[in-house]
Amino acid sequence: MSTVAETATTPTRRRRRVDGWRWAGRIFLALMLFYTAVPMIWMLLTSIKSGFAAMQLPPQWWPAEPTLASYQKLLDPTNSVGADFLRFFWNSLFVSTLTTILGLIVAVPAAYAFSRFTFPGRNFLFFSVLLRNMFPAVIFLIPLFILMRWVGLVNTHGSLVITYLTFGLPLAIWLLKGFYDNIPIQLEQAARIDGATRFQAFVLIVMPLSVPGIIATAIYSFIGAWNEYIYAYTFLSKNEQLTLPAGIQRFFSENTTDFPGLMAASFMMSVPVVVLFLVLQRYFVRALTEGAVKH
Amino acid sequence: MAQPVPFQKKQGRVAVTIVTGQAEALRRSKPAQSSMVRKVWQHRADYAYVLPAIVVMLIVIAYPIYYTVDLSFFMTPPGLQLRDKTFVGFDNYTAILTSDVFWTVTWNTMIWTLASTVISFVLGFATALALHRSFMGRGVMRAILIIPWVISAVAASYIWKWIYHSDFGVIGAILVGLGITDRPPNFIDSVGTVLPSLIVVNIWREFPFAMIMMMAGLQTVPEQLLRAAQVDGASAWQRFWHVTFPHLSNVSTVTILLLAVANFNSFIIPWIMTGGGPSNASHIWITHIYELAFGRQRWGVASAYSVLLFIILMTLGYFYVRALSGEKKKERGA
Repeated sequence: MSTVAETATTPTRRRRRVDGWRWAGRIFLALMLFYTAVPMIWMLLTSIKSGFAAMQLPPQWWPAEPTLASYQKLLDPTNSVGADFLRFFWNSLFVSTLTTILGLIVAVPAAYAFSRFTFPGRNFLFFSVLLRNMFPAVIFLIPLFILMRWVGLVNTHGSLVITYLTFGLPLAIWLLKGFYDNIPIQLEQAARIDGATRFQAFVLIVMPLSVPGIIATAIYSFIGAWNEYIYAYTFLSKNEQLTLPAGIQRFFSENTTDFPGLMAASFMMSVPVVVLFLVLQRYFVRALTEGAVKH
Repeated sequence: MAQPVPFQKKQGRVAVTIVTGQAEALRRSKPAQSSMVRKVWQHRADYAYVLPAIVVMLIVIAYPIYYTVDLSFFMTPPGLQLRDKTFVGFDNYTAILTSDVFWTVTWNTMIWTLASTVISFVLGFATALALHRSFMGRGVMRAILIIPWVISAVAASYIWKWIYHSDFGVIGAILVGLGITDRPPNFIDSVGTVLPSLIVVNIWREFPFAMIMMMAGLQTVPEQLLRAAQVDGASAWQRFWHVTFPHLSNVSTVTILLLAVANFNSFIIPWIMTGGGPSNASHIWITHIYELAFGRQRWGVASAYSVLLFIILMTLGYFYVRALSGEKKKERGA
């Protein structure tokens, strides 16, 4: 085993020893990149073909006559397809933004309380909030549908905002609690000694420090609401109310062969969340892992 | 609120106990009967912070759960005329457990959940390990790998539906081009291949989540420990197996549980890509319940299914909470 001792001390040899693993890692990464990227690339390539060019065997690997016709059709408010698509887009934006803002208003104080105060029933309440995450939308769908019908919210965006709020809340509270746990309590104690009330300490000291956490939680709720399908699909039946996922599904169940259009719509539906995610990636990843992994 | 509420938090605990130690001791010596009420009263202001969250959750969660359990004992006429429902006791439950569809769907759900969870976790973990060392373009690569998880499952389903297309799908075209098959295979239109094909799509969407979690976990493995193991002559594999892996057991448990629950509850991919077909081969519990309720309007049976699902998930939830609170305890002890 003398070689082992040597390799440990001389960096050049050690690198050679690990080479096998490193190459395995590189090849594996290349394969995963292929698996991840190819479907997305194919979506883009299909979206710039004409309907005729997309339906060929063998396929045109690279579009012979690239065209933006599908995008023009979807973004043109004067034809019915474009008008619908833009309406769905606006609805999604409206519902997601409203959900995010209301969600933060409710989740921020709750997460703070769960992080800082010890009141009777705190653990019970916290875990029952978390448990909500365990249950699929379908379990709540039947009674909620009946409830919404009863209060007359079916076919309104209100029904979506209320339901999105609840399924976004547990996660938002969990994420934010992770952030508050990492803010030193001494800062608030100092503020209290200087005469601030507990609420002032929260608003003036803790809130500004937790801005990254709030941003992350906001992205998370926004993406969750933007991508939600099942409630939108069930609660809304009027065309002008639909959000993007449900709207696209309904539209293309009627036009099953327009694959370039479908791919263009899928692409444009993904753009806002992917851009949001790429710009604020750091916060997003940190928030998600803060709860499960403590540093 | 004359009484100052002590900051009882991990970080501040030591200092605070010194100051409030005596008061705490006094309070504890009081008779026990009224202590709970007193405690609640003392902390009444704390509840104001969580109240909005609790109220929203109660309306949209507690009430539906109660309603579902109630409805599962009734037979309902189609069209949601719920005033005409009739009490049938456990008939809905026996009808479910004796039907053939139930066992097909349960089997599908098990395969779907197990395969998706295990493969997503292994792929995600391996990718995290491969990305752990810094190299050129690592950030870009990580960003690309995470995108499938961010985009909507509806978009993902349509992309893959197009890729699997039985006439013009790109995979079929490649297989034909390479001379492996004469004509493009029917990935999602045949009973034998539909479930594995859908699982591939699901893994495509889920492995980035495991990757993110495990990447964060890897950052907590102490570098000194790995270096010490290396000095002692441990091989790369031994270092991974004896140092890295045990260190990640908590993160792994939480990740696997979250993946399992998400997969058990998935709906969009099977629903949009196949709608459960052909001949129930890709129906899993959730899609089946949805179809029973909103397709065939058998609300009572669908509710009974939901209750069964609920029981299964509560069992899983028990382990979830235990894994989470176990972590807390360890942390406190350390």
